[in-house]
Amino acid sequence: MIRRRPLLSVSLALLAGLILLAWSNRVHLAAFPGIIGAYSAKEYCSCRYVSGNPAEYCAGYVEQYLPLGALHDDAERKRVTAEGLGSRQTAAWLGERHGCQLQSQADPL
Amino acid sequence: MPRRTLLAAGLLLSAGPLAAETWPIPEWSSQPAAVTPAVQSLDDYAFPVRDDISRAGVRSDALLVVKDGVIVHERYAAPTTAQTPHLAWSVSKSLFASVLGVAYGEGRFKLDDAVAKHYPPFAAHPEVKIGHLLNWASGLDWQEDYEYAPLKSSVVAMLYTRGRADMAAFTASHGAAAAPGTHFSYSSGDSNVLGASLKAMVGEPAHSHYPWTALFEPLGIGSAVWERDASGTFVASSYAYLTARDLARVGLLMQRDGRWGERQLLPASWVAFNRTPFANYRPDPQQPDDAVPGGQWWLNAQVADARRPWPDVPASAFAALGHWGQGLYVLPEQKLVVVRYADDRDGSYRHNELLKRVLAAYGEQP
Repeated sequence: MIRRRPLLSVSLALLAGLILLAWSNRVHLAAFPGIIGAYSAKEYCSCRYVSGNPAEYCAGYVEQYLPLGALHDDAERKRVTAEGLGSRQTAAWLGERHGCQLQSQADPL
Repeated sequence: MPRRTLLAAGLLLSAGPLAAETWPIPEWSSQPAAVTPAVQSLDDYAFPVRDDISRAGVRSDALLVVKDGVIVHERYAAPTTAQTPHLAWSVSKSLFASVLGVAYGEGRFKLDDAVAKHYPPFAAHPEVKIGHLLNWASGLDWQEDYEYAPLKSSVVAMLYTRGRADMAAFTASHGAAAAPGTHFSYSSGDSNVLGASLKAMVGEPAHSHYPWTALFEPLGIGSAVWERDASGTFVASSYAYLTARDLARVGLLMQRDGRWGERQLLPASWVAFNRTPFANYRPDPQQPDDAVPGGQWWLNAQVADARRPWPDVPASAFAALGHWGQGLYVLPEQKLVVVRYADDRDGSYRHNELLKRVLAAYGEQP
């Protein structure tokens, strides 16, 4: 088999390796898509409502190498929702001393 | 001599050493120095022309120098101002150690208490002591890297995904990589377990206001914000916000060995512990500029046969240091406190270079 179909054999071995790697990192991989939305929502919220920086500055401040699908700042309720890699996350400003916190449920966009 | 005169003389005598000291009570006094070439050179290093497109180079948001209790240098870069409570990132760890120092002075815990005594989920790690956490030597299998290994980074998972609802419980769920107290491994998880331990140490409802009642209010700090996770634990590792002027108050407290005015707010022995190198720390020859871990503070100490991390700065200097260039530096011999807030994205900033220029401008004894 290996001698007759070397390309297929190598591809199969690579695929098997990838599946093994993904399986051994499944907990990390499952959480990964949430990072960009959560980071952006939380740090934008704090930049804007804790530090009191301008909205435009905060949008640039949270910019990363991965693109953000959407960033919505509900200024009236001080809730910030961000979406990236298909995962939507919301951070809310809770009060003067306690600043912003990621919420367990994201707001609709 | 009549008794009243004696009493007055006694008061004068006891006020003697204090009267010579300047404190920011209630407000800082500010005496900006003349712009000498040394002062200009400090500003040139801290505030080069800022490139907001590439975000390259040194990008200071605030620089404040306090000499013997008086502001001598203060500059901000927009949008940060003197009124901005700036994110301290990991400077928060050292601030939280100062909060804990007050609890320590109140007899609420000992360094050799098992963490599990104050934070039950650490029953899974019964040998880990509070002192081990303070030295970042819990021995837990923790991955602190963030920007280069985001997939497996424990700290990213803790702050933003799997751990965010209860950061200390997330930390406690990690296995052991080394025996507690044997090995330094910088961990934001260790710091947040300290955060969770404070709950039982002081109890509710006192806990939810403790950083303010214990530390910020006595120091006259009005700007402090400290974010919590969903379980109510203060994110001791990362999420304190203060103005530069308020952060400098903590620096002055540390410069004066835990004393604020006439009150010994932190036991001098606690500050001494903060400033003692972790006994089992071995410097990494590949990273000669890395400061030496003390008790949640960083030291410019000379350890083993390594050189001082910041060669142009006295060995007695110590600091609270955070991501993207945040720093609170204390140089007790020179009576200097330096606050630097920043948004450094490329690691080109050097503590030694900034402090060398601070020393050239303001280093001589008053």
